[in-house]
Amino acid sequence: MVPWIKRALIVMLVLCIISPIGILLTWNYGDAWGEWDQVKIGNQTWEPKHYSGGAPLQDYDVPGWDNQVMASMGYIISAFVGVFMVITVTMGVVKMGEIAREIRERNTEEHQSD
Amino acid sequence: MHIPDGYLGPATCLFFYIVMIPIWYTAFRISSKQLNERSVPLLAMLSAFAFLVMMFNWPVPDGTTAHMVGAVLIAILLGPWASVIAISVALLIQAFFFGDGGLTSYAANCFNMGVVIPFVGYYVYSLILKFVGKKTPATMGLAAAIGGYVGINAAAFMAGLELGIQPFIAPGYCPYPYTVSIPAMLLAHLVTAGPVEAVVTGSVVYYLKSKNSHLLNLPKLTLRGEKSGAVD
Repeated sequence: MVPWIKRALIVMLVLCIISPIGILLTWNYGDAWGEWDQVKIGNQTWEPKHYSGGAPLQDYDVPGWDNQVMASMGYIISAFVGVFMVITVTMGVVKMGEIAREIRERNTEEHQSD
Repeated sequence: MHIPDGYLGPATCLFFYIVMIPIWYTAFRISSKQLNERSVPLLAMLSAFAFLVMMFNWPVPDGTTAHMVGAVLIAILLGPWASVIAISVALLIQAFFFGDGGLTSYAANCFNMGVVIPFVGYYVYSLILKFVGKKTPATMGLAAAIGGYVGINAAAFMAGLELGIQPFIAPGYCPYPYTVSIPAMLLAHLVTAGPVEAVVTGSVVYYLKSKNSHLLNLPKLTLRGEKSGAVD
């Protein structure tokens, strides 16, 4: 394996393992601004309409793993699943690009031979 | 900065899908022509890297949280159009698998994080380097840090604006006007996410330049092809 890829993978492995920092550091904090499940304005509660849902690892956690230790485990699992999926889909997009280019090249060759 | 479902009205969501479709198409066309066997693995790695750094929520003094994105780093290494692809893929996985960011607001999120951040950040970085003239690890690292800081705050402003116009055009969606949403988004990113983005972007570029890494010399995905990728 190319040395830099190996180093990059190690960096990402470390980031996956320490990812729970991302929830533990902000455990008693609110959500990011504008990402609330509901919000109180005066004495009224506003809730966003839900169009989608059913994400398998909602909020980067295994459903029901609520305390800090279990949520951290869920976060690490989510990190690995996410990294795997992102790399797979990116490579898929690149592959589609290669196929599109081959088709284009074949078409131009046919035009030239006409 | 992941706007969930139900915050942006239908007109805003549709508008950003219409804006993003040609941008996605262009990014796809450019990548199919200009990526090579050495830059493809880096694109995949950086896309995963962006996904990971977005998992690190940092505390904002007002009790909310914010995170960096990493889009400027991708833009510096592979060009801003590569960032469009990498960030759009990361956001897609986040929306589908983790419920982070809505599907109706997916295009708006792609525009803020996958277009505004890399293009603003990349051109700030290029301009500073052109102005300074020397490409040492220190100047490149500093230019990258400033690019990262400006880029993410430009996107925070855009996200605040998109949310803040909803009370006027789509009642029932985001309840706060721009007089509230823009300062709130900017506070989170000027104080918390911006400095993180700056430090990470700057130190990675500094490290790569001081090691004289070939990763800084890969072809940049730009509209005009490799020639305009002279800033590395």
